[in-house]
Amino acid sequence: METVTKTIKTDQMQQTEPQAGPRINLDIDHTVQSTMQADTTNAAENAVFEIEDLNVYYGDFQAVHNATFTVYKHEITAMIGPSGCGKTTVLRCFNRMNDLIPSARIEGRLNFHNVPIYDPRVDPVEVRRRIGMVFQKPNPFPKSIYDNIAFGPRVTGIAKKKSDLDDIMERSLRRAALWEEVKDRLKDSALGLSGGQQQRLCIARAIAVDPDVLLMDEPCSALDPIATAHIEDLMQKIKDDYTIIIVTHNMQQAARISNRTAFFTTHFDSTTDQRCGLLVEYDRTETIFSNPTDERTENYVTGRFG
Amino acid sequence: MAKSRLIGNRTNKMMVQAMQQRAFDVRGRTFQITLLAMLLISLFILTVLIVDVVIDSWGILTGRPGGFLSGTMRSLSDDPKQGVHQALVGTFWIAVFVVVLSFPIGICAAIWLEEYALKNRFTRFIELNIRNLAGVPSIVYGLLGLFLFVKGLEGLTGGKSIASAGITLAILVLPIVIITAQEAIRAVPQELKEGAYGVGATKWAMVRSQVLPYAAPGIFTGTLLSMSRGIGEAAPLLLVGAVSGRLGSNSGFFDLSGVTAEHFMAMPVIIVEWVQNSGRDPGFAEAAAAAIVVLLVFVILMNAAAIFLRNHFEKKRG
Repeated sequence: METVTKTIKTDQMQQTEPQAGPRINLDIDHTVQSTMQADTTNAAENAVFEIEDLNVYYGDFQAVHNATFTVYKHEITAMIGPSGCGKTTVLRCFNRMNDLIPSARIEGRLNFHNVPIYDPRVDPVEVRRRIGMVFQKPNPFPKSIYDNIAFGPRVTGIAKKKSDLDDIMERSLRRAALWEEVKDRLKDSALGLSGGQQQRLCIARAIAVDPDVLLMDEPCSALDPIATAHIEDLMQKIKDDYTIIIVTHNMQQAARISNRTAFFTTHFDSTTDQRCGLLVEYDRTETIFSNPTDERTENYVTGRFG
Repeated sequence: MAKSRLIGNRTNKMMVQAMQQRAFDVRGRTFQITLLAMLLISLFILTVLIVDVVIDSWGILTGRPGGFLSGTMRSLSDDPKQGVHQALVGTFWIAVFVVVLSFPIGICAAIWLEEYALKNRFTRFIELNIRNLAGVPSIVYGLLGLFLFVKGLEGLTGGKSIASAGITLAILVLPIVIITAQEAIRAVPQELKEGAYGVGATKWAMVRSQVLPYAAPGIFTGTLLSMSRGIGEAAPLLLVGAVSGRLGSNSGFFDLSGVTAEHFMAMPVIIVEWVQNSGRDPGFAEAAAAAIVVLLVFVILMNAAAIFLRNHFEKKRG
């Protein structure tokens, strides 16, 4: 499996290299302002995800319309926007989690390190191993803390020996700032932890397989402010090792922690009478919050959304 | 009335009064009483049944319980060696057949339908048919058993044998096993599956490590309950040939050779037999009642096993 994936990677690199880099979308109606002039110099090599004209459908319903943006290495990229704007849908495209929804259909380009992850030759299991995910509701397995962390390394074959697993265990839990709290009760059920601890356990579980990217789907929405601060702290600490993409409803959170922000909104198409998610603006977080280009972004970040 | 008083004249005093006067909720109370009455009716019927059976069988249950369990079928009701041994052996082995055949097949089919099958029209058609099969009268399964296992596969099953009866009842409970296992598997939270996929688990690893442990308590309870229903069936056994005469003598309980031997007896059939005999020899009524108690205890033991297994796996799943 490993060799097959590698071959695909080199293949694709040769095919897609010339196309890499930002592009300008001239469609005024659904303009996606990819204004990152400052980054164009080394954009191609720092790009983790390149998304171009991404359309996502659930059956006949279009959830996301023509999203185009690039996610960069060792940054925290936030996706904000009102409910139903498609930000979670886009997030779940990054690790092919939408494959689990039978009616979901994806069009457009979604490259991960120049590999088109929706290529039929790409193994979604391998994709998900490299692109970890933390969910909205903490979802520890109904097993011990130890078994929660060991699950990933075991099923992916990274570590089989007890000593290796123990190493991964301690490293992951330390990184997730949970080690001190749980080191004496690793054999206890993970369900006995508090919500904030459970979410940090889920982060530890995700980084135990040493992924390249961490996707976080509103990871703090079920947590109190103290637990939220813990998680945000943790994200800052680990972003040097990982690339983080976070969906959040909390604009202050996006402003506090992210380097770049994508603002999505719902667009009402009068011809089809349907709502669909639209990427309005994507830029450095300071720009989005202080000097956005699009009026809709400004209205949303200043709380005048309507 | 209460509404207009509040809205029409909303003074403080009126509100306090309205809140303090607790209106009698006639419809709500009637509904509640009806529910309780229905529950009591079903409990009453069950109690009458059990008490009646126990009273009828009191002489045998207190007089010679051991002898009744180890005794065999006799032509006279006052024979001191009369008992249910052959029927108990038959029912025990039929139960073994049901467990060994219908559980693995049914659980595997359920896993396939829930986790692997495409959610298309063909799958829905199959699921609909399984539901229909669960409603087919048991006598129809008896006919199937008679033609397929007694006649068709006589060489394998030994004809009218425990093997034929066991396979027939296994097929009878198979749809119920599939449906209950499907329901248990469907109850596994999507978050757990996504959590497993999220760290790079394959489908197989996800099913083995998340779905099966989580669904195990439900699967075991459901399947064991469906089996206790199955072994109480008399009609299909009459067709596949449970007989009262020419039975082997008091063979050992775990004697495997009896499984494919021609002629066998089972608990539900012995009850039918003795009730029929009670016309010419009223003493058989007491024996039939005692056999019912034995069958009930057998079923209760299996349900207890189901509860034990459920608790065990629930504890394991944390």
